[in-house]
Amino acid sequence: MNIIKKFIRFIALMICLIFALIPLYWIIITSLKGPKDIYTFPIKYLPEIISFESYRQLFAFTNFAIYFRNSLGIALIASFGALFITLFSGYALSRYGFRFKKYILLSLFFTQMIPMFLIMVPLYKTFSQVGMIDKLITLIILYTNMMIPFSAIMAKAFFDRIPVSLEEAAQIDGCSRQQALFKIVVPLTLPGLSAIFSFSFINAWNELFLAVMFLNSDVNLTIPVALNSFISKAGIGWDIMSAGLVIALVPTMVVFAFTQRYIVSGLTRGAIKG
Amino acid sequence: MKKLLIVIVLISIFLLVSVASFSESAKVTLNFIEVLTSPERTELLKKIISDFEVLNPDIQINLISPPYEQADQKVTLMLNTNQPLDIVEVRDYTIKQFVNNEKLLNLETYLESWTDSKTLLPITWQAARTVDNIAYIVPQEFYIKALFYRTDILGINFVPPETISELFEVCKEITDPSKNQYGFSFRGKAWEFKFSDLISTSFLDDIDANNIYMKTDGKVYFNDPRAVEGLKLYIRFFKETTPTDAINWGFNEQVNAFVSGVAPLLIQDPDTIALVDKMLGRDKYMVAPIPVGPSGKAYLDYGFAGLGIPSYSKYKEEAWKFIEYISSPEVNAYFCKNYGPLPVHSVTYETDPYFSTGVYLAWAYMMGHPEKYVFSKYPIDSSKWPGWSQIHEADMQSLLLGKVTIEKAVDKWTEYWK
Amino acid sequence: MKNKNSNIFLIMLIPTFISIILLTYIPVLRGLIIAFQNYNLFDLSNIRLIGFKNFQVILNDVNFSFLRILLNTFLWVTVSLFFQFVLGFGLALLMQKPFKGRGVYSGLVFYPWALSGFAIGLIWAWMFNGQFGIINDLLQKIGLIHQNIGFLSDPKYALISVIIANIWYGIPFFAIMLLAALQSVPLELYEAAEIDGAGHFKKLFQITIPYIKPTIISTTLLRAIWIMNFPEIIYGMTSGGPANSTNILATQMINKIYNFYDYGQASAIGLMIMGIMIIYAVIYLKVTYLEEFEL
Repeated sequence: MNIIKKFIRFIALMICLIFALIPLYWIIITSLKGPKDIYTFPIKYLPEIISFESYRQLFAFTNFAIYFRNSLGIALIASFGALFITLFSGYALSRYGFRFKKYILLSLFFTQMIPMFLIMVPLYKTFSQVGMIDKLITLIILYTNMMIPFSAIMAKAFFDRIPVSLEEAAQIDGCSRQQALFKIVVPLTLPGLSAIFSFSFINAWNELFLAVMFLNSDVNLTIPVALNSFISKAGIGWDIMSAGLVIALVPTMVVFAFTQRYIVSGLTRGAIKG
Repeated sequence: MKKLLIVIVLISIFLLVSVASFSESAKVTLNFIEVLTSPERTELLKKIISDFEVLNPDIQINLISPPYEQADQKVTLMLNTNQPLDIVEVRDYTIKQFVNNEKLLNLETYLESWTDSKTLLPITWQAARTVDNIAYIVPQEFYIKALFYRTDILGINFVPPETISELFEVCKEITDPSKNQYGFSFRGKAWEFKFSDLISTSFLDDIDANNIYMKTDGKVYFNDPRAVEGLKLYIRFFKETTPTDAINWGFNEQVNAFVSGVAPLLIQDPDTIALVDKMLGRDKYMVAPIPVGPSGKAYLDYGFAGLGIPSYSKYKEEAWKFIEYISSPEVNAYFCKNYGPLPVHSVTYETDPYFSTGVYLAWAYMMGHPEKYVFSKYPIDSSKWPGWSQIHEADMQSLLLGKVTIEKAVDKWTEYWK
Repeated sequence: MKNKNSNIFLIMLIPTFISIILLTYIPVLRGLIIAFQNYNLFDLSNIRLIGFKNFQVILNDVNFSFLRILLNTFLWVTVSLFFQFVLGFGLALLMQKPFKGRGVYSGLVFYPWALSGFAIGLIWAWMFNGQFGIINDLLQKIGLIHQNIGFLSDPKYALISVIIANIWYGIPFFAIMLLAALQSVPLELYEAAEIDGAGHFKKLFQITIPYIKPTIISTTLLRAIWIMNFPEIIYGMTSGGPANSTNILATQMINKIYNFYDYGQASAIGLMIMGIMIIYAVIYLKVTYLEEFEL
């Protein structure tokens, strides 16, 4: 019976994996076909010849390396910034009861309902008045702000799961509150904090509309803007688009893979059981 | 507490430094924003810019290339908030709006003192003076439709059709859905009205050259019985010579259908040439003039894009220098050769073999036969123009799918433009 | 509980609030004002308050039927949410017990979440393509259909196609969040239930789900709001077409900005979106008796 169960589970997992991977496979294959092979009929599922022409054109025609650097810098700084701020905010929201706590949480939650396009123009006007258009720091600020509400709510929830008794025990042993936070609580919530970091990173990495609006010069562009500019009056250039998409995927998959270790391995188990 | 203060101080310093980092230089830096962004075209512009910079070492040009789909909106926003810009690419669709908001400089005096302006085509002057008959831009390129056809699929002895009805017959003959072979590369989405208008207006002979939607008697053309005939033929093109999926075809799909052979006849603009050359090869296709309608005429819209100077630019003289450079017959011909659309000087057609032979003959023919080909404008300076494309597309798609009758559709369009 | 050391934590709340007040709430107020103005970039010379005119235009739009847009929005959110949740939960349950290579597996199976909505729209549009798409090709190869279907050109199929792309995208979110929550269910509860002879379904419905109920409610609420504000996939796949069949409120907002240059009407739509979400959130929370928002 057990073997059958295991087998069914295996098949189910494989189906999920295939469903998830087909689009990825298709995009990778498209990027490895030469430009003339992409629009063929009948459709070629395996490229006849593997060609890196699309990648070559990507780096020759555009400053993709610079865009990559910009995106990486912005995403990392914004994610760490948001994580840093919400680590403390989330903890404060979790551990302290104050009269307006419910409303504070609601006000954070409420920000998620605001459509981006509603505030884009007022934001643009404000930043243009202080001369901060076409600067990477502007995006860092905007992205950090974008992440804060969700991250704070998530952080609070993860901190809620850790019993206060653990910190109190540590404080009896002579730790200060801050030390208790960093030595006891944070390690236990590492899965949650990793989740927050990876969500923030991915959102910052993929954000398109603010980047298009606030960045001008070629040297400041981020990857989503660059990918979007492969769509011209002539439609989509699938050769460089697919190559660009594949490369853009790499950092997010790496961040993901890295944080999975913490989320999935269930570090919280130990503390709760004991 | 101490740690926190240090962190705050560091962040503030960082912010201040980033915001305040400016470097004064003796060079003048111009900001040039383009809107018809594509990777190849941007490369081309960068090359032209660097050539210019070599000739003018005290001017530097910063090219801003927003993605095509958001570019117009971005330029509008930047102009309206007075962002530092010195050269803007203006399209036929956006020129009225910029002038409305007083963001473009009047270029008449500049053009007068520019020697090369003498060789500009009449159509170039017409385009430059679109709004209020004052030149606010220097057009750089024209987009006029022509008929592309596959010489390898249709045979070397294929004679391109001279009338729309002949075109229809040809397309219908080769259509065989079971072999995934169709005739006409239909445009279903994104500015598809240009194609339906092209066919419908050819059934009339009294269209107003200043407004393609009006007849010379002052009435809107849509519900004229002749136009309805034209529209019926257009619907037959969709139903009998194209795949049903074509209702969703944009430029990309149209060209793909042509290149893959699924639909070997295509009506498109000259910038398609560069693309089709790359994807197919010049030896496999040819271009013919647009077939005329029963009236013996065809009304051609001339799309264009040009360069203008923002009214608040701090470097108008330097900006004009660059515009003079890129608009000169030589550079303009170079640009158009590599990118595809039609150049703006008459000398180019007369002296440059590239533009007076081969595929470009079709356009030379159309420009040289005004009794057959009338160049007519869309009402792009009307406040009803923005959004018209969406409205027409939704209606046309309903019409093609049989959800609404022809009468209802044309009456609605007539009402809209009254 | 307050002592000198604790002040640092309260102070850390301050940047959070300065940030969202300056960069979110104040712009929202300005945006709301625009909703009542004739703010059209075509002619900015005479901006003034025009009352509810923007709303009237949108509600009575003959070209983009408001009712159809509302229906699309409703279907987009509910159908996507349902399948994302069910399939995501299923995947989390499948992955709950550790197995060899689970780390690598999760990196691969969760990656759709790492893509930008716009990229997903493009990729799936290419897969659903009526001429060169692999979906048409594969369906014909298996024999389910005999002729190419214009998935994105036929109003009948377009909405479900964009929803499928959205489901593909959203499964990882639920899978990750629910998996993390599942990790916190104490093993003793399962062990005790097994001693009592409980089977899979009993364990699922009597232990697992009740234990992570706060997480389920919070994630579904949050996700519903995000889906409603998520026009990128549709924008990349169909831009709201054909014939308004995939247009949702959020994409109509984009339409008004990029094609009509009318920020007044776009902001009015934004207001409507917010109004709907507030009503929805209030009702949802009351119905599920959620005391405190917990993940």
